[in-house]
Amino acid sequence: MIHYSTHNNPRTSWQVTRSVWSALFLREATARLMASRFAWFWMLVEPLAFVVLMVVIRDLFSRVSTTQNADFIPWLIVGITVFMLFRDGVTRSLGAIEANQGLFAYRQVKPIDPVLVRNMLEGLLKIIVFIILIAGSSLLDYDILPFNPIGAIFVWILVWLLGLGMGLVVSIGAAMVESFGRMVRIMMLPLFVLSGAMIPLQVMPHTIQPYLLYNPISHGIESLRLCFFEGYHAVSGIELLYLCYWTFASIAMGLALHVKFAIRLRAM
Amino acid sequence: MIQLRNVYKRYHNHHGSEWVLRDINFTIPTGVSVGLVGGNGAGKSTLLRLIADMDAPDRGDISRNCRVSWPIGLSGGFQGSMTGRQNVKFVARIHGDENEIQRIVQYVEEFAEIGPAFDEPVKTYSSGMKSRLAFGLSLAFDFDVYLSDEATAVGDIAFKEKAKKAFKRRVGQAGLIMVSHSEGILKDLCQAGIWLQQGKARWYDDVYEAINDYRDSIGMKK
Repeated sequence: MIHYSTHNNPRTSWQVTRSVWSALFLREATARLMASRFAWFWMLVEPLAFVVLMVVIRDLFSRVSTTQNADFIPWLIVGITVFMLFRDGVTRSLGAIEANQGLFAYRQVKPIDPVLVRNMLEGLLKIIVFIILIAGSSLLDYDILPFNPIGAIFVWILVWLLGLGMGLVVSIGAAMVESFGRMVRIMMLPLFVLSGAMIPLQVMPHTIQPYLLYNPISHGIESLRLCFFEGYHAVSGIELLYLCYWTFASIAMGLALHVKFAIRLRAM
Repeated sequence: MIQLRNVYKRYHNHHGSEWVLRDINFTIPTGVSVGLVGGNGAGKSTLLRLIADMDAPDRGDISRNCRVSWPIGLSGGFQGSMTGRQNVKFVARIHGDENEIQRIVQYVEEFAEIGPAFDEPVKTYSSGMKSRLAFGLSLAFDFDVYLSDEATAVGDIAFKEKAKKAFKRRVGQAGLIMVSHSEGILKDLCQAGIWLQQGKARWYDDVYEAINDYRDSIGMKK
């Protein structure tokens, strides 16, 4: 019989964490992409379906024309993909702990690990989807290449981090409170409509506009468009710093919750 | 060496929370195999989880100066939607044996003897198949102390024999902390014993005495 030495010399915490993350990443990527033959297909089709839907609606009512200095279709692609970056970061985190409960038997795996890994994976997939959509629409002669790529990357990462922070928070909620996950998922639809991803905030009633700007995702979406379309007129009141505050606060809150509840989550 | 000092543990629920373990103190020397006995709900699995660092005590502390396995048993350890092979690879990876994966997988596949089911999702396994996989997996690693929570209880006779032999071969190099309701296997594999009753642990240098006291407490003849 052959025996394999587990550790010849103890590994550092960082080495352990890294091997846990790479193992979880492979597991999550396999589950995400191999679960259905159409996984990739749907990832691309979902944002496109919303673009087509909104174009049809606009043509039917021909009222929404306030996307100044940006073509409607590139404007939609940017807004919808970055919203989905946030949305999937949050919703994929909801089931992260439960789906990996069996693996917490190994003391190396902490409940925060699957949440972090799912967000890394989701972020990577969304970058690929976004690049494919940008390349595709450029080939179709739409003006969608960002005029400020560095700024665009920065805003993209910031929105991804907001999704991660919120994901950390809701992953705890979903694991500890019944139906919490369902509520979060339901809230994503009104958030989609009200964050300016597909309907310009300018066409919303003026009385509610100031309230809509409390939503940090609106700031992320409009900031990203400002980096993509030169001379774009965003709704007034867009502050990238406001998004930074939310991102920072949600990550801090999420990490604190994980520190507090890590033991209890593993024992469930 | 594994040392527990003034360890308390309870689980919170809606009806208050009784201590499952109260003021547990003992030291398990290196290389000594220990059998844990006690009734259902006495806290045997809880104690094993604490030793494995899967859960933290409410008070007191536990020190382990050796490599301790995860509790090998029925609950947990596998991700149901992944195949047996994927689960084994996963565990090899988190233990940092990136280069050993092929050999570990091969070892487990041979030890478990579950045939083509090795490439089916673990959720389709019977409890016996799961225990074969879990057992083979833990033996693929070189731990100083193996924790077993009824690991062999659901296996068939052939597998029980094989598991017992594999453990016996390790005695001397590695220790074993074992929860089992089968006295035969405890007497066979363990030297010392711990009897858990009403949250208290009692240490016995001889596992036979632990079993006898436990039997006496429930009014059974020796």
